[in-house]
Amino acid sequence: MVRLTDLPEYERDHLLEKNMPPLGPMTWSNNAKPLSAKRIALVTTAGLHFRGDNAFDFADPTFRPISIDDDANDLIMSHSSANFDRSGFVEDVNLVFPIKRFQELLADKTIGSLADVHYSFMGAGLMPKVYEKSAMQVAGLLKQDLVDAVFLTPV
Amino acid sequence: MTTGISLIRENAESMQPPRSLWVPFPLGRPLGKPNDKAFQHRVIAAALALLERTTGPVLEDYPEDAQTVSIEESAACPVSFGNTQADATTWAARLVSELTQMQPWYDLGKRRRNGRSLVGVAGEPMQTMLKKLGELLDSETLPTAELKWFKLAIEDAKVFYIEALTAQPGEYSAQAIEQILWHETHLGAGLRIFYERFTASPKLAIMARMVASREAIGGSTGEEIEINDITKKKK
Repeated sequence: MVRLTDLPEYERDHLLEKNMPPLGPMTWSNNAKPLSAKRIALVTTAGLHFRGDNAFDFADPTFRPISIDDDANDLIMSHSSANFDRSGFVEDVNLVFPIKRFQELLADKTIGSLADVHYSFMGAGLMPKVYEKSAMQVAGLLKQDLVDAVFLTPV
Repeated sequence: MTTGISLIRENAESMQPPRSLWVPFPLGRPLGKPNDKAFQHRVIAAALALLERTTGPVLEDYPEDAQTVSIEESAACPVSFGNTQADATTWAARLVSELTQMQPWYDLGKRRRNGRSLVGVAGEPMQTMLKKLGELLDSETLPTAELKWFKLAIEDAKVFYIEALTAQPGEYSAQAIEQILWHETHLGAGLRIFYERFTASPKLAIMARMVASREAIGGSTGEEIEINDITKKKK
């Protein structure tokens, strides 16, 4: 588990160095649609992509699209950080990118629909501000896909 | 609108994303447990419930731990390292020899996972990559002209070993796998040497962090240097 009190001092100090101030005034949005009508997209910072895609560079603010028609079991990971467990993701893609779980939520009508395209960033080595351009681009693509809400997963 | 998982509560407290669910799971496991559909659904439901909140920022704690096995209870690693050519005089020979022991277990693991494998980011055969990494160690050089290749090669090599070490069914302790990878394999020993060399190089010290984990080194992997501007870094 990641409770800072359970970690060695060097690990605790490193993770606390990642405390950043808010990116700016909080943007808050409400969406009156019930969850059962909402269109959902997944966005992860796990550095996922398919074999044919460009791998992520050491410090890389770009993103990779993951189509709903692609087989998520073919996703691989080129993440620069050596400091998180990969053995769980080796066993189950849904541990990091829970697309199958969301397809099940769609099948039982818990959610309204799933986006046509989902996205992966690689979250390491860069200050949040450097991602702004890519993040704006993805926000535009999600709007175009009429997405109501985004589910975010880190590693 | 967004909702999502936070793995480090203090980071989320500081950055204040609009809606976030802190989970007490290890880094790399935001949904808690692999192959546990019910567990993953409970986590997702808790995060989706935050979408109903009308004021924020919201940072909620997820109450359920994802129990993991201890090192002692971990499924046994199938690979025996006793036969590797520890006395081989070159790193290249030792790494290629180790690969011949790992390969059947990697293949078995891939079959157990129905053909799924994370190996392949570098797009080169494992033997070619390990031989080249060994030659770099033998010549005591850093791949300064091929840093991108090096990053992908070591990612492929590490995940190849993880997949081999966890080939058989069973619940593994991530810590036990790390310990074997870093302290019982030639690859781990070689990567720790690369780590030291990167650290000693003023221009490349920032790259050391991608080579070895803080756990492998037993401490900090250097001062945290985050890059503010990707274009400046490339100059």
